[in-house]
Amino acid sequence: MKAIRNLCLMLLYLFLLAPIIVVFIVSFDTRQYLAFPPESWSFGSYAKVFANDAFIAAFGRSVVIGLVVGLIAVAIGMLLSMALVRYKFRGRDTIGFLVLAPFLVPSIVLAVGLMLVLSPMGLLDTYAGIMLAHLGITVPYTVRTITMSLMAVDRRIEEAAMVHGASPFTVFRRITLPLVSPGLIAGGVIAFLISFDEATISLFIVSIRTSTLPTEIYRYLEYSTDPQIAALSVVLILISVAVVVLVERLIGLRKAI
Amino acid sequence: MTERHVSVENLVKTYPGAAKPSVDDVSFSLPRGEMLALLGPSGCGKTTILRMIAGLVEPTSGSIRLNGREVSGIPVYKRNMGMVFQAYALFPHMTVAENIAFGLEMRGIAKADRAAKVARALDLVKLSGLGDRRITQLSGGQQQRCAIARSLVIEPELLLLDEPLSNLDAKLRDEMRDEIREIQGRTGVTAIFVTHDQDEALSMADRLAVMSAGRLEQIGTPRQIFDRPETEFVASFIGAGNFLNGRVTAAGEAAVDGFGALRFVGDAAVGQDVRLMVRPHRLVMGGAANSFTGTVEHIVYRGQILTMTVRAGETRLQADLHTHAGALPEKGQTVTLGVAPEDVTFIGRAA
Repeated sequence: MKAIRNLCLMLLYLFLLAPIIVVFIVSFDTRQYLAFPPESWSFGSYAKVFANDAFIAAFGRSVVIGLVVGLIAVAIGMLLSMALVRYKFRGRDTIGFLVLAPFLVPSIVLAVGLMLVLSPMGLLDTYAGIMLAHLGITVPYTVRTITMSLMAVDRRIEEAAMVHGASPFTVFRRITLPLVSPGLIAGGVIAFLISFDEATISLFIVSIRTSTLPTEIYRYLEYSTDPQIAALSVVLILISVAVVVLVERLIGLRKAI
Repeated sequence: MTERHVSVENLVKTYPGAAKPSVDDVSFSLPRGEMLALLGPSGCGKTTILRMIAGLVEPTSGSIRLNGREVSGIPVYKRNMGMVFQAYALFPHMTVAENIAFGLEMRGIAKADRAAKVARALDLVKLSGLGDRRITQLSGGQQQRCAIARSLVIEPELLLLDEPLSNLDAKLRDEMRDEIREIQGRTGVTAIFVTHDQDEALSMADRLAVMSAGRLEQIGTPRQIFDRPETEFVASFIGAGNFLNGRVTAAGEAAVDGFGALRFVGDAAVGQDVRLMVRPHRLVMGGAANSFTGTVEHIVYRGQILTMTVRAGETRLQADLHTHAGALPEKGQTVTLGVAPEDVTFIGRAA
């Protein structure tokens, strides 16, 4: 029985990881087109990726956009969570639903909608435009993680701080904020990773000036299919894994979500 | 002792949407250094009163004065209160010392002074040497002490304790009960604590305020509350009681079915129908000033105490007698019991 279970588990993991494994193997191929399995092996594709100015520039932009989006999404998420968890007001449920609505709408629909809204405002292919678009899809995640953390905070702890002399703002800064920090970090990391990975919406919003790494990869794939893309994918996967592992070590991501 | 340190007048709290007020026209006052227990069943409004004094709940009407000064307009964090919460509400992300220093820090006290005061507070609650521990590394009793130290270190105007012992196991509870009393006595802080446990209230407080359904039933020393309850609620909530109906035949004497004449303490006019109360353990075997004869209907031997139900005429009484190795009454036997007139309390007119 146990052997069968283990076999099933192995097959399941293999199924889940197969695309990544294939990409990983292909990234070492020396041929100038994507094929499996490779005939000869080298690190050549990796060298080319790191020498590709378009990739490096787009990588830099993606990191900056991701960091800014992550920070702002956490700030907005914190404020929204405070309102949704701590206060009873008319329309609270509606706002709660609207915040999570982007979860339910297909990316392509969002992308078209965002393009139609941002275009008349002159925000297409600007940092402000792409960041606004990414905030729309990342805030639901930060609200979710921060709300979870906030609901776990015992109000009496905040009351105790208040009784012993802390003003409402001090209570927030010294008590509430540290206690929800796992939610803040988890939300920020998720927001960063989503923004960093996001392709569908970005393709509609950016072109030359603010192209992000995923859009740059897409554009590259339109004209050529060499193992550089596989090598770049491996690099991106490693970055994502590194971030998640780091956060897991620091606060326990699984606990925060 | 006559100085009114804290006074609460006509305090009312009605929560929005509630039909009845949670706290209904409650007034009491405490002299400096007194420990008052707010005692009552859950939902009687005692915690609401405590939270209104702390400033965590806004009163609907009435006033709360500290040293004669109205505190209603003062925000929670400027009232200089210490409060020990039911589940302690310690700051989980800080060490024991940081928890205790929090109030001092909020008051802008210099770091060196803070450290000295924290050390003294740790010493007071017997946590010396544990200042660097995390809260999660403390046992329940230690967390309790830490919460007390955090509240006392700021030298509060008033110490408020919300069911401070309810989260501890029985043995620790007895220990902490004495300890809280001792610390309160040593620091001389005026304290109000909320409890639903009569033992706790009787043994810790200088005075008890017994509450029921938002109203203050009676306030007095433990002996006054126990021996001279003024209402049937107080008499039955604290300790057990036999309630008797009678008619006053002479000053301090009433005719009660099964007893004949029963002498009691209390002012009641001749001819009035009265309600009297006798504690089961105040009944003794044999004749006394008030003696009566009845049949033992039911008996339970409980080691230290023999609980028996005695029927005299139409009246049934519970009597708790101390046991001894000699002969004890048995079921069906006719016994003569007596009770001192001081132990027969006049509670009010018969319903």
